[in-house]
Amino acid sequence: MNGMSNRDRFLATMRYQPRDRSPLVDFGFWEETIPLWHQQGLPKQILFTYASSNHIDYFGMDFGIDEISRTTGVRMGLTPAFRTSVLEDYGDHEIVQQGDGVRVLRRKFMGSIPQHQAHLLTDRASWEKHYKPRLDPGARGRLPKDWAKRVEHWRDPNRAELLVLPGGSLYGWIRNWMGVENVSYLLYDDPTLFDEMVTTVADCIIGTLERALQSGVQFDACGLWEDMAYRAGPLISPRHFKKYLVPHYRRISDLLHKYGVNIIWLDCDGDISLLVPHWLEAGVNCMFPLEVGTWGGDPIKYRQQYGKDLLLMGGFDKHILQGSQAEIENEVKRLAPLVEEGGYISFCDHRVPPDVLLENYCFYLAKTREIWGHGVNLRPMEVITNRR
Amino acid sequence: MEEQLLDLQDAIINGSKADAVELTQELIALHADPQTILNQGLIAGMTEVGRMFTCGEYFVPEMLIAARAMQSSMDLLRPALVDAGAKPIGTIVLGTVRGDLHDIGKNLAGMLLEGAGFRVVDIGVDAGADKFVNAVKAHNAQLVGLSALLTTTMMHASEVLTALETAGLRQQVKVVVGGAAVTPEWAAQIGADGAAIDAATGAQLCKELLAQLNG
Repeated sequence: MNGMSNRDRFLATMRYQPRDRSPLVDFGFWEETIPLWHQQGLPKQILFTYASSNHIDYFGMDFGIDEISRTTGVRMGLTPAFRTSVLEDYGDHEIVQQGDGVRVLRRKFMGSIPQHQAHLLTDRASWEKHYKPRLDPGARGRLPKDWAKRVEHWRDPNRAELLVLPGGSLYGWIRNWMGVENVSYLLYDDPTLFDEMVTTVADCIIGTLERALQSGVQFDACGLWEDMAYRAGPLISPRHFKKYLVPHYRRISDLLHKYGVNIIWLDCDGDISLLVPHWLEAGVNCMFPLEVGTWGGDPIKYRQQYGKDLLLMGGFDKHILQGSQAEIENEVKRLAPLVEEGGYISFCDHRVPPDVLLENYCFYLAKTREIWGHGVNLRPMEVITNRR
Repeated sequence: MEEQLLDLQDAIINGSKADAVELTQELIALHADPQTILNQGLIAGMTEVGRMFTCGEYFVPEMLIAARAMQSSMDLLRPALVDAGAKPIGTIVLGTVRGDLHDIGKNLAGMLLEGAGFRVVDIGVDAGADKFVNAVKAHNAQLVGLSALLTTTMMHASEVLTALETAGLRQQVKVVVGGAAVTPEWAAQIGADGAAIDAATGAQLCKELLAQLNG
């Protein structure tokens, strides 16, 4: 098994097949974490931004979830996006008109989720005027300009690159465009419009996926995003979820299955317990990041409950990284049998917060390389590259 | 009149704003005691909504439409309550702590606290300790609700507790903390009086703490 590529290792892991070791993967950091780590000795050149993700190389990871999700260059969201602009500047805060049409108050140096101040999407008229036209799967820009060239390279069945298609979002986007309160009212005030919005979004996702899938490239996985739960459970009832969303997840997974894409992951924070059976039933078969700290999600319990049908990613309690090295090592060891079994790629249950010391993070990495990676075919650490 | 009060309760539970408004108008026209309308119609309805939310029968949308129905009804009832000299069961200053802009949890908690009969003084997001202290003084509040979503902003909750202590107000107020990462253990560790796991249990906890305070 010498020379397994990221792709080989990822697929073998998710198919419970023999592999040299588990993938060593990263879900990134809070925006404040890396600057604080610079003060703790991390070389200044190491960054975690959209433009530069050389931390992956530096920390010797196989790949980053964010980065791998962007590899294909397929664009799912509003196309074209709205023009972004800073409307007001308050020093450490600013009011920004975002690309999704939402006006937010945000801290320049993050630290908190932005506060929604105004939404462009409020009713049927604004939906039809501003949003629906931006959900055309045939729009220019959905596929990158060099798509044909990429496809030519990716068609090689022995290629090394792991290719993950973006799968969009059925509820999370609409929630972002309208705000939690407004989309909640809409479910009762105008369920027909809500249904139409979800259907339009799903049609756009399916149409875009179809364009990519018809290229003849064998893609490896598809990643959806929702963030539709909080510590006490889902933001909508399982009844509404089943009625409005599940049929469209089914359509998406049916299409992906038709083209041999059988790993469909879903990024959803919060307590997802009530929704997992419905996702699984609809063909969405991999959950992440399995937040442990906020509601006690535990990948071991999930495996016991759902067996090997449910693939898992994440699930390492990031708060443990704030503790002692003994606690970190214990958690790495506790998860090791599940990592070994396969169908599970362990990493922090969300982005690493700034109250984690660089020293502890490096200790965590060392232990994961030793215990989950068996010291086999590891990428070197502390190599500075410049990827811009 | 008993029947209309029960219907009003149902309208709140079902989140029917139109029915809640119509029934409130009807009850006011019948010269029903405004405090009775509030207690037996609105508060009773929202108490049931809170119970259903806690036991997983209701989710955020159902709670929101119920709170909206209650607020529409309250808008009609408020002048009558003022005329009758009716008082809220207590006053709570509610805010999201310094450094944190997250307000959904706070807003949901505020709705359920109003539904439980409290006067809610919402001081918004990114609120420093001084803002909480000033609001407690200005409104003679008995309770303070601190919301913090993130582990990095949770620590600012203890600054509010220190500021209340320094201002000599700590003995007269009960402090409840809420947010994604908040636990009862952490609340006890920073010296708060309780942790709200969700908006509904938070409202119930505030009622219990108020009863202790009035003890």
